[in-house]
Amino acid sequence: MADGTLERAARAENAASSAPMRLAGTGPKDARWMGWVAVAVVLGLWELGCWLGNINSLYLPRPSQIVASMVKLFVAENLVLDLGWTLWRIFAGCAIGVVAGILMGVWMATSPRVAAIADVFIAALYPLPKVTLIPLLVIWLGTGGPFMLTISALGAFFPVVINTLLGVRQCDPGLVLAARDLGANQRQIVRRVLIPSAVPSIFAGVRLGLGVSIILVVAAEMVVGRTGLGARLFLAGQVLNTEDVFAVLVVLATLGIVVTKLQDMVDERLARWRPN
Amino acid sequence: MKAAVSSGQAPGTASTMTAVVAKDLGLAWAIRQGTPVVALEGVSCAFAPGEVTAIIGPSGCGKSTLLQIVRGFLEPSTGSIAYLGPDGSAGAAPSMATVWQSFNLFPWLTVEENVGFGLELAGVAKPDRQLRVREALAAVDLAGFESKLPRQLSGGMRQRVGLARALVMNPDVLLLDEPFGALDAQTRLVLQEQLARLVESTRKTAILVTHSIEEAILLADKVLVMTARPGRIAAEIAVDIPRPRGHATTGRAEYVALFEQIYGLLRDEVERAMRSEGN
Ligand SMILES: Nc1ncnc2c1ncn2[C@@H]1O[C@H](COP(=O)(O)OP(=O)(O)O)[C@@H](O)[C@H]1O
Ligand SMILES: [Mg+2]
Repeated sequence: MADGTLERAARAENAASSAPMRLAGTGPKDARWMGWVAVAVVLGLWELGCWLGNINSLYLPRPSQIVASMVKLFVAENLVLDLGWTLWRIFAGCAIGVVAGILMGVWMATSPRVAAIADVFIAALYPLPKVTLIPLLVIWLGTGGPFMLTISALGAFFPVVINTLLGVRQCDPGLVLAARDLGANQRQIVRRVLIPSAVPSIFAGVRLGLGVSIILVVAAEMVVGRTGLGARLFLAGQVLNTEDVFAVLVVLATLGIVVTKLQDMVDERLARWRPN
Repeated sequence: MKAAVSSGQAPGTASTMTAVVAKDLGLAWAIRQGTPVVALEGVSCAFAPGEVTAIIGPSGCGKSTLLQIVRGFLEPSTGSIAYLGPDGSAGAAPSMATVWQSFNLFPWLTVEENVGFGLELAGVAKPDRQLRVREALAAVDLAGFESKLPRQLSGGMRQRVGLARALVMNPDVLLLDEPFGALDAQTRLVLQEQLARLVESTRKTAILVTHSIEEAILLADKVLVMTARPGRIAAEIAVDIPRPRGHATTGRAEYVALFEQIYGLLRDEVERAMRSEGN
């Protein structure tokens, strides 16, 4: 990524080793412009190559055509509504999955019985590609809002449960003892010690889960949706409108970048949990 | 460190006059394979109000286990803990707070939030809490560090936060489980002297588990020497050196005599503990 997102992620992973690493090359700030220049060069070559090679825009439209198509989609064809639908499905569904996942994970971590029971189901469902659940969910819920939110929530649920469980289990038992010593009851220990100590792990789960939610919502929209970016993408492909296909892909890629940026910002606020 | 952390209960009230008496305590850890590990056996001792008792003994002899039983976090296999009022009748359980070897500060909370944790749980309103937290931090020379995170502090400062977090609760009994065990030698010396002054000024009942004979003599009114596992009380030694004590105390003849006496008892036990680890 051109703007140092990867570097930032790596730094967050291992704060200690970042200083010597930065000595090895130029700093991330100095190198940032190179990514944008590279993008501009590729776009320029793409435009020029299509034009010189007289390539049929049915196969590969020029960047300028894609931009024109995107303007048309937003101005005349209400693409912003589809973007809104997709965002709603991703974030509302993901939020449901995250909340359910945290509650379930904490419950499992604090009750061996619940863990034993839930473990079997999670072991069976976690490795299953969630797209394979689309037909069954359509039979049960139809293709409307409840279906979209469910598939999105399912995507986020599993990574969040597993990370919450691990995070809570890894909590230093000394901290639990200290809280008890200061008068905390069982409920206060869960809310004031176990959950806060698992925050970095929970957030790692949310990151993964949001990624899965995005994939599932777009895939579900492609298969059954009449609205949303996935549906627009699929319909454009059906009528061989390659410019529109590219335009929607660019919108989806931009969405990905924005989501990653937001997560980086949250990551920075987790500095409290970072060791030394 | 400055004098008393004054808020809350005044010293000399009924519960602070309660002695903690351990009667014939025994504890065996059930382990997955083989016979249970007997950590404590027939431990009887009394912790008098206003008195500092040091517990010293080889590693793994059950000192922390004893402290956890006194705290009420561990149920002994045999024996019991009793609380005796000044007239010998049964008293109420005194309040306690612990200072831990590994500090056990909450890494996501600031110094102020760490120290205020117990008061917040107890429902102390924010203005009052802030006042008491600041007072406790001042008592351990950490005024101005309120908004720092534990990871931004040195080991010695972290343990002073741990000390403030326990003191702010104004416990009847202060439990210290090798509080300076994780610190370097110089920091340790300084903190020992500071703790000695704090203990002298507050006249708080304290139980101090330590590996250091010097620490035991500097701080305690009474030293319990424990045997290698299973832990028993090998000797109870009164420390009659006048206070205030400090590093200069280590030059006195009484100090040297006491040191030799405790070291003599301890050496045999440590050797025994090492032999039993080896087999
Ligand atoms: N949770 C536990 N389960 C099993 N054995 C334990 C446990 N905690 C302590 N022990 C054992 O009990 C003995 C006493 O431990 P401890 O009280 O921590 O010793 P000390 O504090 O004197 O070093 C040790 O041999 C230790 O291995
Ligand atoms: Mg110990």
